Amino acid sequence: MSRRIRASRVVPVIVLALALGAGSVATAGTAWAAKKKKNDKVSTAVEKPPKATLSETGSTLLYPLWNIWAPAYQGKYPQVSLTTAGTGSGTGISDAASGTVDIGSSDAYLSPADNQQYPTLENIPLAISVQVIAYNLPGLTAHLKLNGKILSEIYRGKITNWNNSAIASLNPGLTLPNLPIVALHRSDGSGDTFLFTTYLSDQDPNNWGKSVGFNTSVQWPSTPGELAEQGNGGMVSGCKATPGCIAYVGISYLSQLLGDGLTYAQVLNGKGQYELPTSKAVAAESAYYVKKTPANGTISLIDGPVKGGYPIINYEYAIVNTHQPSASTAKAIRSILEWAINPKDGNSSQYLSQVSFQPLPPKLLDASLKQIAKIK
Amino acid sequence: MAKEVTALPSPRRRHLANWLFFRVGSMLALLLVVGPVLWVVVTVVANAAPHWKWSVLTTTTQGTSGGLENAVLGTLLLLLGVLVIAGVIGVAGGIYLAELVGTKANGKPRGGVFRAATEVLSGVPSIVLGYVGFTALVVGLHWQLSLLPAWIVLSVMVVPYIARGTETALRQVPTVYREGAEALGMPLGYGLRKVVLRSAIPGVVTSLLIALAISAGETAPLLYTAGWSVDNPSFSLLHKQVGYLTYPVWEFWDYPSKQAHYLSFDAALLLVVIVLILLVTARLIVARTQRHAESRR
Amino acid sequence: MAAVIPAGALIASVVVLATKAGPAVRVNGAHFLTGSDWKLGNTYGAIQHTDGVAHPLGSSYGAWPLIAGTLQSSAIALIIAVPISLGAAFALTERLPRWLSSILRFGIELLAGVPSVLIGLWGALTLGPLLARDVYPIVADHMPNVPVLSYFKNPVGHGEGLLTSGIVLALMIVPIIASTARNLFAQVPALPKEGGEALGLTDWEVTRKITLPWVRSGLIGATVLGLGRALGETIAIAMVSGALLNTITPNVYGTMGTVAAAIVSQLDSAFTDGTGFAIASLAELALVLSIVSLLVNMLARFIVHRTDSLSAPVGVGF
Repeated sequence: MSRRIRASRVVPVIVLALALGAGSVATAGTAWAAKKKKNDKVSTAVEKPPKATLSETGSTLLYPLWNIWAPAYQGKYPQVSLTTAGTGSGTGISDAASGTVDIGSSDAYLSPADNQQYPTLENIPLAISVQVIAYNLPGLTAHLKLNGKILSEIYRGKITNWNNSAIASLNPGLTLPNLPIVALHRSDGSGDTFLFTTYLSDQDPNNWGKSVGFNTSVQWPSTPGELAEQGNGGMVSGCKATPGCIAYVGISYLSQLLGDGLTYAQVLNGKGQYELPTSKAVAAESAYYVKKTPANGTISLIDGPVKGGYPIINYEYAIVNTHQPSASTAKAIRSILEWAINPKDGNSSQYLSQVSFQPLPPKLLDASLKQIAKIK
Repeated sequence: MAKEVTALPSPRRRHLANWLFFRVGSMLALLLVVGPVLWVVVTVVANAAPHWKWSVLTTTTQGTSGGLENAVLGTLLLLLGVLVIAGVIGVAGGIYLAELVGTKANGKPRGGVFRAATEVLSGVPSIVLGYVGFTALVVGLHWQLSLLPAWIVLSVMVVPYIARGTETALRQVPTVYREGAEALGMPLGYGLRKVVLRSAIPGVVTSLLIALAISAGETAPLLYTAGWSVDNPSFSLLHKQVGYLTYPVWEFWDYPSKQAHYLSFDAALLLVVIVLILLVTARLIVARTQRHAESRR
Repeated sequence: MAAVIPAGALIASVVVLATKAGPAVRVNGAHFLTGSDWKLGNTYGAIQHTDGVAHPLGSSYGAWPLIAGTLQSSAIALIIAVPISLGAAFALTERLPRWLSSILRFGIELLAGVPSVLIGLWGALTLGPLLARDVYPIVADHMPNVPVLSYFKNPVGHGEGLLTSGIVLALMIVPIIASTARNLFAQVPALPKEGGEALGLTDWEVTRKITLPWVRSGLIGATVLGLGRALGETIAIAMVSGALLNTITPNVYGTMGTVAAAIVSQLDSAFTDGTGFAIASLAELALVLSIVSLLVNMLARFIVHRTDSLSAPVGVGF
């Protein structure tokens, strides 16, 4: 029963995702074939892995997808065992760097200091994700309009009640409750924090940008009743339990979020429009940035000057050390990653639509495959 | 003293005070100690029982759903290691403290470095030990998240408990026994083994069981030494992460899916069962030896 | 041989912590204890050098809110736990029906044995929301606006925060205080107590006039021992405090953080700081926590041992 309700709410997004996914794969097919002739080294074939036990940890945004991917991949290659864990992008990067796991997951790319400290670490885009701004206002199901300035004021403790005039003037016609705002942020190092704070720094450079800045973990200003939550799961559960909350949540938790009675906002983009995180808006935003993406995949996709674009999207990265202790481990890691980004396997809509992710555009698929080939 | 006695208020008020502070006070304390424990246990059971499936024990975790076979086996393997490592060190340390170092001239027991070290160790918060284990063993020595660092950190944590428990048990063995053994011409080591240790065994076992209960319930140090794995544990000491029961409780309790919640409470229930078995066994041993000791007198 | 191992482990731990924390101690200076900002800085920006130590631009580590949160939650825990523990210890040593005292004894043992994560689970899902819904509002509404008590006024929040943390901590330190106190009570010689009874004193008067003065300093030791445990408690507090880094709560219900909870929630993300300075600062935090808990523990054991000539195990034997 609850499943059906949940499904009906998600259907529009999924339908759009499917439509877009099919469209982009179709156009990709031809563009890709042309590219393939030029560069024969890149193959989309998935290597047959040796027997291996691998571990993945990191981004809780990518975690639900890994939990869908792992059984599907193991169904095809039962000789590989993969343990997944949602510990936050910070852990994903750090554990991959320290070698405590084989694959780290992160919503944020590696920093220059990371690259300097761990020169053999690379960030490989796996898919495109979206962040939604969720809130729990009992009785209000409309998608509020919110922008970076207002979010910045909320998270700096300047706006503390939902009936604040700044929010009200942005949302004429809606009756906002007299309810204290409880701002939720992540306690673990998190790519979602990175995305959210990048957006705030971009939209409110003079206040947020100068005082807090962006990172996987920042110094959050004190706000009344604020809560630090562990993982996207904690954000959704915490927000559900706390009327008046506001939280930034990865789109892979959309179905849980809606099922738990929360909803999400229309967010101001770089062209001054308020957009919902539809696949169309996400596609518009990503199309703008794909052209600019360098070979190593390191780029922020936030708040681009894109008409009709949703401003908080990102690449989901696998953080992998190119120097593996054994050739067979390297081969198994390559195999999993090749499978994950293959449009017929891990990047097909049967998996991605479950978490509302978008597949890698062909240009990036190419780049990611080249990065994967470096793992030795 | 005498002045106070003469200044006592009326008997009725005194007995009221006695009743209020003593009877009611102890009852209140009883309620406030036993109540929350029961509440915690009942919360866990009430949340776990309705959806409990025995298959939890025979299937491994898949992401945030599935079973807990890997975690149960991992916890048992961790306990086994602690029993061996901390057991040997702790019991040896306890014997050393009780039997070998003797007492000072003023009748206080000696113990020197070992006693100081164990006492200080027992004051180090477990998260600090976990942090040290992680930076020194997991990252520093490149052991990665695996069985051995978890064993070491847990053992370091509980050695003080076992050593003290053993020492206490040995000190409670009547001196007559030792003298008897000596009178029979037993060498020190032999007498210790055959006579003194044998009568101290219940106390030693109790301290071991309590140490195991503490180890089974640890979370913070294990997060950074054992890691987490959905596979059943193997016996490889290094480079392979291990699952354990506190992880799903801590990690899945606020994960927004029913399966994850179920798993969290299933793990909590299994933890309660394990801890209860260990503690009840310990209590039974203590009760039995006490009765035994009393009847002997 | 076995005697060497705990000493070795202890020395190794201290050396590891001190080595790791060294650069942080030098760069952070006194700001570490007095400052109120815990931030990694811009790990995506330029790397700065201070005194030859590399760290990200804008990194700053002031742990005062964590230290304050630790002290506040521990203080609340002691205020709640000491009377309960003493009551339980009286109940155990004095005349309680056998069956009742064995229930109490097992209750204390169980409380000591219940994993911290389960108490946290219960605190976060059951106790916290219940208190915030049914208890805190009543307390908050009836508090007069005078110093100290105004600290108990609205808003009551949502159940995660300082008071809930203190209550949860109190439960966790009751066993250690109660069992130590019980051992102390058991050591009070029977003769003075019997003398008191012969003079017609009630049980309560015997306790107040004879037993308590006899073990007073020992009880202080037991309390300090409980404090030591409260300072280092991690997982349960990470679950019920709000796990914040930079906030000192304005009232008793507000969300906050403690040193130990910060170590468990920040260790992983600290590794994203490629310069290693975040790890060093976290090591400094661990160092501060260990030094404080060690001092507290040693003080406690010193006081307890002084009163207890038999050197019964402190906090272990139930």
